[in-house]
Amino acid sequence: MPYTEILALVMIGAFFLMLLAGVPVAVCLGVTGFVFGYAGFGSFLFTLLPARIFGVITNYTLLALPLFIFMGIMLEKSRIAEELLDVIGFAMGGLRGGMALAIILVGVLMGAASGVVGATVVTMGLIALGPVLNRGYDTGVACGVICASGTLGQIIPPSLVLILLADIMGESVGTLFAAALFPGLLLSGLFVAYVLILGFFKPLALPAIPAEERAALSRADLGKKLLRVVLPPIALIIAVLGSIIGGIAAPTEAASMGALGSIVLAAMSGKLSFGVMRDAVRGAFVTSAMVFLILIFAQPFGLAFRGLGGENLVHDAFAMVPGGINGQIFFLMVLLFVLGFFLEWIEISYIALPLFLPIFMNAGVDMAWIAILVAVNLQTSFLTPPFGWALFFLKGVAPPQVKTWDIYKGVLPFIGLQLVGLALVFSFPGLATWLPQAIGW
Amino acid sequence: QSTFNWKMTNAYGPGSPFYVEGPGSPTDFCKKVEAMSDGRLKIQHFAAGELIPALEGFDAVRSGAIEMNAANAYFWAGKIPAAQYFTTVPFGMNFQGMNAWLYHGGGMELWDELYEPLGLKALPMGNTGVQMTGWFREPIESVADFQNLKMRIPGLAGKVYATLGVDVKLLPGGEIFPALERGVIDAAEFVGPYQDRRLGLQNAAKYYYTTGWHEPSNVTELLMSTQAWNSLPADLQEIVKVAAMACNLESHTWCEANNAEALKDLVENDGVIAQTLPDDVVAELKTATDTVLADFAAQDAQVKKVHDAFTAFKTEHAAWAAVSEKPLYGLPG
Amino acid sequence: MIATLEKLTNGAHGIVRITGQIAAWSGLALVLLVAFNVLSRYLFSYGSVALQEAEWHLMAVGALFGMAYGLNQGGEVRVDIAYAKFPPRVQAAIDVVSAVLMTAVALLIAYLSLAYVDASYSINEGSPDPGGLGYRYLLKACLPVAFILLAIQSLAMTGHALLTLLRPKGVR
Ligand code: NA
Ligand code: NA
Repeated sequence: MPYTEILALVMIGAFFLMLLAGVPVAVCLGVTGFVFGYAGFGSFLFTLLPARIFGVITNYTLLALPLFIFMGIMLEKSRIAEELLDVIGFAMGGLRGGMALAIILVGVLMGAASGVVGATVVTMGLIALGPVLNRGYDTGVACGVICASGTLGQIIPPSLVLILLADIMGESVGTLFAAALFPGLLLSGLFVAYVLILGFFKPLALPAIPAEERAALSRADLGKKLLRVVLPPIALIIAVLGSIIGGIAAPTEAASMGALGSIVLAAMSGKLSFGVMRDAVRGAFVTSAMVFLILIFAQPFGLAFRGLGGENLVHDAFAMVPGGINGQIFFLMVLLFVLGFFLEWIEISYIALPLFLPIFMNAGVDMAWIAILVAVNLQTSFLTPPFGWALFFLKGVAPPQVKTWDIYKGVLPFIGLQLVGLALVFSFPGLATWLPQAIGW
Repeated sequence: QSTFNWKMTNAYGPGSPFYVEGPGSPTDFCKKVEAMSDGRLKIQHFAAGELIPALEGFDAVRSGAIEMNAANAYFWAGKIPAAQYFTTVPFGMNFQGMNAWLYHGGGMELWDELYEPLGLKALPMGNTGVQMTGWFREPIESVADFQNLKMRIPGLAGKVYATLGVDVKLLPGGEIFPALERGVIDAAEFVGPYQDRRLGLQNAAKYYYTTGWHEPSNVTELLMSTQAWNSLPADLQEIVKVAAMACNLESHTWCEANNAEALKDLVENDGVIAQTLPDDVVAELKTATDTVLADFAAQDAQVKKVHDAFTAFKTEHAAWAAVSEKPLYGLPG
Repeated sequence: MIATLEKLTNGAHGIVRITGQIAAWSGLALVLLVAFNVLSRYLFSYGSVALQEAEWHLMAVGALFGMAYGLNQGGEVRVDIAYAKFPPRVQAAIDVVSAVLMTAVALLIAYLSLAYVDASYSINEGSPDPGGLGYRYLLKACLPVAFILLAIQSLAMTGHALLTLLRPKGVR
């Protein structure tokens, strides 16, 4: 193994060590990238770093990030979100996990409105985490539901992952959007089933609103409250989704309808003041910055990994690919899953996929099906500790008492569910291939 | 004999046919060079996003960190406005005319003159041939149909459309389909039948118009730093030149063959209505283009010089084409 | 010495806070701009290339200047599995090292960006799209400025963590 590839491995190891020692994520990424890059290839490739950073901050599709975050903060600051989940909890009556179900539903709807994982996880963390913790939810369960529901946006169209995969795999964006719909709903369904089962076996982890409290609120009052609290956020989601479906806005810019709508809602409910606006503006700025800081500092790391020939590590692993198409698909899935522990999904797609594509194309496998398997796998990579984007993003907006360990522990069952979903799509390819054929995309 | 290990970045993403993969593509160029030089010049290829973002190749090569970049010169129009002419301009030249100008009409000399002060050297390395006008949700019957039409179309052609009342929308490639399908935009331009089918645009709009007035051909640029270029011995320089020229031809022939198949498939199997823009619409577009290009040329001396040379050659070549190719095309099949 | 350090730390902290509070309004501007572009196109078929480009210009400025302000407001993300169990002085030591490293990385990126900005400035780079926004080197020049601001914030954090380390036990 060449010296530089060994350095790439050591770089990953050093990154993990620093990360686990509690050094901020951005620092871990930036420092290991620079140190091992300079050790391996000197300074010349770092000339390219400003170009990479400029590429991140001017990436059009990332516009959804600050826009959705603004919406989330505005809902939080104007206290619209606060009551929402609470009222849903009341409406669910004695059903345990009712608020968790609401979170999954919101995840599906937000997922249908956005394809940027940071945007959905952060927004849901902002609006949902506080209320469910106040209602006595287990921290891990709450974090797990939010992270997993937030990543649904990556599989439910539109999605950045699918757009990139379409490009790499030579499928049309429309085909993949259609192919992803049922697998996305399948995953949502698995999450729902899990929450219901968990509510049955571990009632204390996701309690219903206490009966006496529910009794104190009359049906009529609940109905009124429900209308008052639930309608506005629904109107907001309709504004975003509706503007995409109604041909008013392209997917990325649709997020602005949500953000603008959140201002309008706050104004209509009389909660908009200069102070609220100022706090919202600052809060949104800090939260967006948290996401961008990690994205920006991931650049020296990614550059160093490439510059050190880290992709050759994957090439070497590729030499061990077994025979038989199912064996090859299985190997690809394992490889993607492992890479997800320490690499960003774009980097993973670029490094691993081009190696396998010729094999699958020659074997005549349905590429849309492969693409969906890959997409579900990449979605899982957002959740896998220690380096899962969704985990960091949620940590960034969570109250201080929420520890990384809670989040790690909380997502584990959902990673399991993701793998179940993956196995189902693998066993029943029709889940992915039927819809695009049926509608002719 | 020394060996060279170079890097090439690309403005197009991994897997793109023609722009990255396939006969006459940049990766094919790298393979050809390595084979012809018996491994003395090895070029490692990085698609957009792998090492740097799509449109950062110019600065990367200029800084010396990367030896080669594959792109279209008009991506650099914000850096060197005159670079526009080395990809294409509206109502510019087709494959024959463009190459005649570049190789034998003084085009390459002008290109060198433009790039040399920046420490850069460029060669043509590919060509899509004539592109399609684009996809429209409604038919275009007169120039009035352009009024308030929302269209995804970047660059100078967008400016031309804008003067005829089109509302120009900028969108990344991945959002063209969802936006066109839902009617956020009424029309979109991408490349040609093969590439457009790959994007699935036939499922978003049915009217597919031709006359590639906006891009009569489209040159792929091989960009190198002068320093890297000068470091090559004469034989390797020759290999690079010949490989680029071979790719220029092969990429174009590949497009011709595949677009023919793709258009037939789109019309026969996807219900696409392929039509030619009405003559009077094209005439209006030409008038608008003349104004836009005149304004464009007026902005600086470099653009004016290249514009005048380009236009002069085009006029001369058009006269010959009117005698040679036009009557040939008119022959009964 | 501790007093001087405290003064410097607070000063740096203050600079970043104030610039951040101003830059934060770019977020509202972004919301209004994108919404305007969407609605004016839908309602009046009005669009401008410059206003569309302004969308990601605003996002870039916000992302860059947000970095320092985000850290200023405690918006950093770490894996606290082991960290939370460390005694305060060990935590402070990790914070000092982290902040020093962050300062170094920020300064390095600021330095690397200079050539990138210069390449743009030397050719008066603008938009490749006719009707787009000019003076792109100004946008690029935000890179070194923002990273220097980030370095200032990181220095303030170094100072803050050092103060925690230097103060005798029990005074905190
Ligand atoms: Na989505
Ligand atoms: Na991961």
